[in-house]
Amino acid sequence: MVGAILSSRRFWFVMAAIVIGLLPMIFSDSYWRTNLIVCAINVLLAVGLDFVLGYAGQLNLGQSAFYGIGAYVSTLMIMKLGMPFWLAFACGVLVAGLAGMLLSIFAVRLRGHYLAIASLGFAVITYQILLNWISLTQGPLGIYAIPPPPPLRIPGLPAIEFNNLGNLFYLTAGFALLTYMLLDQLVRSPIGETLTAIREDEVSAASLGITCQKWKVLAFAISSAVAGAGGCFYASFVGTLVPDAFFITESFTILAMVIVGGMGTLIGPVLGAILLTVLPELLRGIGDLRLIVYGVSVTLVVLFMPGGIVQAGRRIAARLRRRAAADDTMIRT
Amino acid sequence: MLTVILQQGINGVVLGSLYVLVALGLTLIYGVLVQINFAHADIVTLGAFTAYFVTHLFSGNYFAGIAAALIVGAILGWLVNAVIFAPLRERANELLPLIATIGVSITLQNVMLVLLGPIPYAFDTPYSNNVIRFGGIFLTVQNVLIIMMSTIAIGLLYAFMKFTTLGKALRAVSQDRETAALMGINPNQLIMLTFVIASALAGMSGALLGPVRVLTPFAGATVIVKAFAIVIIGGFGNVEGTIIAGLIVGLIESYTTQFLDPGLIDIVVFALLLLMLAVRPTGLIAEKREENV
Repeated sequence: MVGAILSSRRFWFVMAAIVIGLLPMIFSDSYWRTNLIVCAINVLLAVGLDFVLGYAGQLNLGQSAFYGIGAYVSTLMIMKLGMPFWLAFACGVLVAGLAGMLLSIFAVRLRGHYLAIASLGFAVITYQILLNWISLTQGPLGIYAIPPPPPLRIPGLPAIEFNNLGNLFYLTAGFALLTYMLLDQLVRSPIGETLTAIREDEVSAASLGITCQKWKVLAFAISSAVAGAGGCFYASFVGTLVPDAFFITESFTILAMVIVGGMGTLIGPVLGAILLTVLPELLRGIGDLRLIVYGVSVTLVVLFMPGGIVQAGRRIAARLRRRAAADDTMIRT
Repeated sequence: MLTVILQQGINGVVLGSLYVLVALGLTLIYGVLVQINFAHADIVTLGAFTAYFVTHLFSGNYFAGIAAALIVGAILGWLVNAVIFAPLRERANELLPLIATIGVSITLQNVMLVLLGPIPYAFDTPYSNNVIRFGGIFLTVQNVLIIMMSTIAIGLLYAFMKFTTLGKALRAVSQDRETAALMGINPNQLIMLTFVIASALAGMSGALLGPVRVLTPFAGATVIVKAFAIVIIGGFGNVEGTIIAGLIVGLIESYTTQFLDPGLIDIVVFALLLLMLAVRPTGLIAEKREENV
């Protein structure tokens, strides 16, 4: 009975929602609430990347570009055209998704390292455009005073203001949870199985009648749209935008989250994103050394637990279960 | 006008030969291992700093600095292979070494940042302010040195690959590792040798670019992404293609700075990369390798 509850997805989603609800109450100071929001945005970025990388097997190093496109498009829509937030949000997500489809034109023809470098090139070009198209993006000077999302007015209830960090966390984390649930449905559907088939062996997949190109385009579009959503939240949360936030190293950071957590599982990137966001903050006391710790831990994870936290956890759980079973038989005899 | 074109042409060749030295190491490693090494960038940087300190130690003897950078590069290459690539080889995964080297790169950059600080070092060699003039064209002896040293290094590498038994064995491994092993070649030793040669080149390129570029812990990182573009434009694992592509990128960079805008350099270079990948993904010179395309 307990086992059945523990293995049911609905139970865990409810638990996650409760944890999200409790977190801002436990961490009431603005420093930790800020970190919570950064965590939620990073979770969004990491699960987005994992969808194209871990499930469809496409080595995409351009995630920082889609993140930046989402942030800049939504912000410019709000600031220059006076568009309402949620419409601008939809535009940001849409344009990021379309940019992902554009990059997937290359993914259709290239594999492995070629795609990695092509997507890196795409990220470099996007960064340089943000930096140099000064009349539009104000280049390195940045865009300031970006308003937070407008208050949510539900009739009969007091308006929910988003200039409050706690509520903004509920919004981003809620969106991240929703995205997670949708992706979870998607990867367990025939679509997820199709993508995994392409990842494992493209030629065999094609011989089974799968149009690999079409599915790769879809995977890129979804993955980059999710990153774009992360960018929209980032802009309205930080309130300023500078191109340096979307430099190519951001792609590496997101990639590290996916790898440390466990690629090809959805919960892995969530754990990786939380760990790699919180760990540097906890290490802030040692100053510059924290990035060294970051680099070393990424290297060590790859060398000694290449499946990430999730695989290491599974292995420990299996060992415990075996020991419990062994104890059981000893008691019986 | 003509002098400007010639002047920028020479500047482009100087830059291009530096890029070629960095990119050749990457392409050699890719050739034998089909792996990407992001830590290559930091071997370049460490080479530059080694040259800086050794040059000062030997009261301005720049050649001692270059030699030291070469040796430090070789040692680091051996280390990167022994610690990262060799243990991961049996897993036969293209992603893991790439990410591990990103981790190594973040570590090395920040170790250098802690030890050396973010302020650029002024690396003046005895040749930096020595200017040669041909008509209206200016050329520092440092730049002549860069072109000469790169040409010598590339020439030696080319001769080594073409004419020595070891070089032939290396090419055999890069064409087909299993068959090469059957012919009595030990691929592991050759992979190690490739890392040592590639990283010695990287260390040397650091020593050469230190005086002409901004010397900070991120000096190599700013070059490496362009070096990857060069490797692809030239065709992964293809030495001749890499040399041509490196010079083209160097020229694009200097002419873009002169006639367009320095901010557009990366956009032009990477647009060329994407165009190349769309039109001719095998690189400038067609290759036999097919698994990535």
